[in-house]
Amino acid sequence: MELNDWELVQKCQAGEMSAFQELVSRYHQKVYMVILGLLRNREDALEVAQETFFRAYRKIKSFQGGSSFYTWIYRIAVNLSIDAQRRQKRNPLDFRESMDGLLETQNEVARDPFSDVHDRELRETLLKAINDLTPEHKAVIVLRTIEGLSYKDIGEILGCSEGTVMSRLHYARKKLHDKLSAFL
Amino acid sequence: MRDCENIRESIGSWLDGELSAAESESVRSHLASCTDCGEAQRRLERMHLALKAALTSQAPQIEFTSFWRGVERRINEKRTWYEDLLDGSRRLFTAPRVAWMVPAVIGLLLVLISMDFVPFRGSRNSFASVESIDAYGRSVALLRQPETRTTVIWLYQDQEGENETAEDPAKSAPTF
Repeated sequence: MELNDWELVQKCQAGEMSAFQELVSRYHQKVYMVILGLLRNREDALEVAQETFFRAYRKIKSFQGGSSFYTWIYRIAVNLSIDAQRRQKRNPLDFRESMDGLLETQNEVARDPFSDVHDRELRETLLKAINDLTPEHKAVIVLRTIEGLSYKDIGEILGCSEGTVMSRLHYARKKLHDKLSAFL
Repeated sequence: MRDCENIRESIGSWLDGELSAAESESVRSHLASCTDCGEAQRRLERMHLALKAALTSQAPQIEFTSFWRGVERRINEKRTWYEDLLDGSRRLFTAPRVAWMVPAVIGLLLVLISMDFVPFRGSRNSFASVESIDAYGRSVALLRQPETRTTVIWLYQDQEGENETAEDPAKSAPTF
C-alpha cells in the first residue's frame, strides 16, 4: 500500500532515509519545473532544486504537517529561486547568455508547440516579458500556470493572503498582456 | 463602462475558478452580452495557453537517480558553522532590508548622539561629525548647543570630495 506524504514525512522524521528518497522522487520533477519557470536556466534550476530538497531534509523535523508537504517544499523552492533571481539580476550578462541558450535549445526541440515564425516571436516576446516581471509577480504566474495551484495554496507558499495573490496575478497578467497585445 | 472595467479585472479569477458562485454568475452573464469583454476573455485565454506552452515546453525530464545522487551528496557533506551563518545572513540582509537598515542605523546613531548616550571627548558644547555616510561624498554633521537645548542635524554633500585623494584628508573636513 502506498504511503501518503504525511506518513512518509513521519518516517523521515524517525530517520528513514528511504522515506525521504520517496518524497524526492514524487516531487523532484514538479519542483524543478517551477524553479526553471522562475530562473529560465536549466543548470541553475537543477542546482536550486537539489538545494531545495537538501534544505527540506535538514528542516524536516520541524515540519509539523500544518500545511501539505508540497506547499512546504514549494515555499522553500520559491524562496531559494527568488534569492537566485536577485543574484541573476546582479549578473545580467550571464543571464542574457543563458536566455539565448534556452531559446536556441527550444528551437531544436522537435515537439516544440511554437512551430511557425509568428509563434516563435510570440514565445520570445513572452519569455522576455516574464523575465521583466518582479520576482513576486513571476512566482504567482509560474505557480498558477505550471502547477495550476489554487490561490489559497499559492498564498501559503508565498506567505501572503488570497486577495494579494489575486491582485498580483491580475497585475502580472496585465503587464504580460500589454507587452503581447500585438500577438493576441 | 464602469461595469466593463470591473468585469475585466475579474475575468482572470473567473477563468481560474476562484470567484464565488454569485460573482461567477455576474461575470458569465456580462460576458454573454458584451462583445468587447468577450474579446478580452478570449485574449486572456490565448495568452494563458501561450504562457503555459512557453513555460512547460522547455522543461526536460529529470532522471531521478542522478538527481537523488546530487541531493544525497549535499546531505552527506558536512557544512561548517560559518557556511550556515552565511546562509542565514544572506536571508536576513536582503537588498530591500539593507536599504531600510542603513538610514535607520544612521538615524538611531544621530538620536543617540543628540541624547548624549554616546560619550564625546571634549566639552559639552560640542560639534560632532560622522563623515562619508555613502559612496557619493555625502556626509552628516551634528551641532549641539546645550545652553539653548538645540541640536542641528546637517546633511551635506562635499563637492570637492569627488576629486580628493586619501593623502589629503584635511580637505574633506566640512566647513561651516
